Parts: sequence; C-alpha cells; structure tokens
Amino acid sequence: MNILGRMLTSSSLTNVTQNTNSQVVVETTLKAIGRPGFILIDNDIDHDTKRYAATKEFLYQATCLAVYALLIVPLFKNGAFKLAQKMFDSADVGKFKSNKQYGHYLKLCETTPKNRTLTLDKEIKGTANSQGTRTVVSEKYDQTILDELKKEKPNQFPVLKGAVELGNIIGSVFGLAIFAPQVSHAFIHPAMKFLGLEDENGNKKSSVKTLDKTV
Amino acid sequence: MASNISGKLKSLCKNLGENCKPTYVVMAIATVKGICRPTFTMMDKHEDYETKKYTAIREGLTEVIAIPVYWGLGELSGKCAKFLPEELQKQGKKNAMFLGVCVAALLIIPGLCSATIKPIMDKFFPTKKDEKKVDKNLDVTSSAPQLQSVAVVSDLKLNINQKPTLQTFFSRPQSGMRVGGV
Repeated sequence: MNILGRMLTSSSLTNVTQNTNSQVVVETTLKAIGRPGFILIDNDIDHDTKRYAATKEFLYQATCLAVYALLIVPLFKNGAFKLAQKMFDSADVGKFKSNKQYGHYLKLCETTPKNRTLTLDKEIKGTANSQGTRTVVSEKYDQTILDELKKEKPNQFPVLKGAVELGNIIGSVFGLAIFAPQVSHAFIHPAMKFLGLEDENGNKKSSVKTLDKTV
Repeated sequence: MASNISGKLKSLCKNLGENCKPTYVVMAIATVKGICRPTFTMMDKHEDYETKKYTAIREGLTEVIAIPVYWGLGELSGKCAKFLPEELQKQGKKNAMFLGVCVAALLIIPGLCSATIKPIMDKFFPTKKDEKKVDKNLDVTSSAPQLQSVAVVSDLKLNINQKPTLQTFFSRPQSGMRVGGV
C-alpha cells in the first residue's frame, strides 16, 4: 500500500472518524485556523479591520469549541444513551451499564475473538480494594454481552450506536449553532476590549490617530 | 401514534448506526447555523437595520456555500477509497470523507467565501460600494498635507542695551499683542 493508503487506513484516523465529537472538535479547530487566516491574507481590507475581524472570528470559534467540549459532549452523548435504553428493547440496545462500557465493547468488536477474551481477562478496572484484589473489566459486563463477544461477528447494536450518534448530532447542532453564539456574544466584546481592539462603546479601535473635524 | 414515532426513530437510529458519514454532522451544523446566525443578527437591537441586513446576508451566504462544499468534497474524497484493498474500503472511505471535510473547513470554504462573497454583496448592495462615507474625522497622521518647513528670516536686530530709536518701533511686527504699550 502507498502512503495515501496507509494514511486512510490508520487506526488513529479511524478512531477520530468513528467519533462524532472528535470530528466536530477537529473541524472547529480547523475553522479557528482557516477563517482568521484567510481574513488576514485578504488584500482588500485595511490592516486594522483585518486584525479586528480575524481576532473576532478566532475568539468566536474558540468559544464554540470550549462550550462544545465542556457542556454539550457529556450532556447529549450520555443523555442519548440513557434515553435509548429506556425507549428501545434490550435486544436492540443491549445491557450496557454506561456509554463508556459500550464504547469499550465496540473497540473489542474490531479485534479477533481470541484477542477479545485475552483483553477482557487482562484488563483491570480502578485501584485495588482493601483485600488487595482488583476488579477485572469482564466482571462488569453482562453475560449476554460476554457471549456476544465470543462470536466471530458480534452484534454491534446499531440502534444504540445510531441513537448515540443522533444525540451527538443534535448536541453539536444545538451547541455550535444556537448556544455557543449566545455565549460568545457575551464573551467576545470584553475579550476584544482586554486585547485593546475595541473601545468602551464596543467600536473598533483604529491605530490611525484622527481629529474631529466638526469640533 | 407514539409507537409509530418510536418505530420511525428506531429505524433512523439503525440507519445512522450502520452508516454514519462524517459529512452528516457538518452539514447539519451548517444548515442550522445558516438559519440561526442571520436570525440572531437581525434580532440585535443595538445595530442599525441596514448593517444588520448586510451582516445577516453575509453570514447566511457563508453557510450556503459551506453546505454543498462539505457534501461534494466529502463524497469526492470518499471515491479515493476505491484504490484500497477491498476489505479496507469501508473503513478507508469514511476516513477519506473525513479528510475531505477537514480540507473543506480549513481551505476550500474560507477561500471560496473570500473570493465570492464580496462580489455577491456588491451586487446586492451596490450603494455600499459606491457611496463614499462622509467621515467627520480628519486623519491627522497619514492624510495630513505635508507642508514644507518655512525658514523664518528676520532682519530685526534688537539691542536691548541701546536706547530705542524711532527705527526700532517701525521695524518690529505690526500685529499681535505687545507688551509695554508701545
């Protein structure tokens, strides 16, 4: 395989692609670089306006990213998981204790059955208890799920996967298109004043000194 | 009715779980942003109507450009997976689509917006370009006329130790305030 082929099938890229949250974080980071960058190289705008617009755009994207990562991801991802477990039959969504456990299960599904059992028996969760014994990850799994992992092609519970994805999409849309702009509106102007790019009235500051003609 | 909604939701979740493309989420965000951002701008009470309208159309156009670019570039880069071995094509297609979306977000969309929005806005708002804004402020550093320095030559020779003569008073400047009353 050539370089492009190796890049397209790399496991780290696959991990990002399989997770909507990582996709949105990467995309918003690129927007925070690309949009201010293109404003700065625009020759039709004067230097002050470019600096002002680029900083404003960067702060907007950075606020979106922070709001998304801190608030939207935990709320919508886990919310969608719990809602799916309540709404749908356990045959469709499995008996998982948490969204984290389901994520772990999906990673195990990608490996061979032998590796799955070995991983489950080796992996330990948390620290040792008072008797010095540690909990093996497999003890936390439901028996039906463990039986599923022994199969050649285990059920990946697409309904549950889709529900989590739907929650992520709704959260991303709500977070980035509705909630974050409101937060950034309150945050950007004080930040611009702090950076010296806006005056007290919220107007753009200019480096060119002017004299009022009318006075 | 409730079971019908639940059934449709289940079917939607199943489809999404089996085939969730990286373009779906970015297109969904761009669509809602294209509606909400201009709406929020128009709801701003502090800006004047014309500025709000100009900004709202600009924001809406950005997202209108972004939606087809995300979709097109995502699908186009997904085709690159055809060159991979068959067992890796499914995984490779998603990764290629995601890379296409990244390139769109970083380079193509900002570049297209810079190139196309200005001419479109000039067409929508021709007066914005033509009208010359009357600036009541005078630029005193960059636009001020550069005057040549004038050397002040004076042939006035005053000797304070001598008694003033009539010539002394005739040769001094005949304007401005004088101290001493003469």
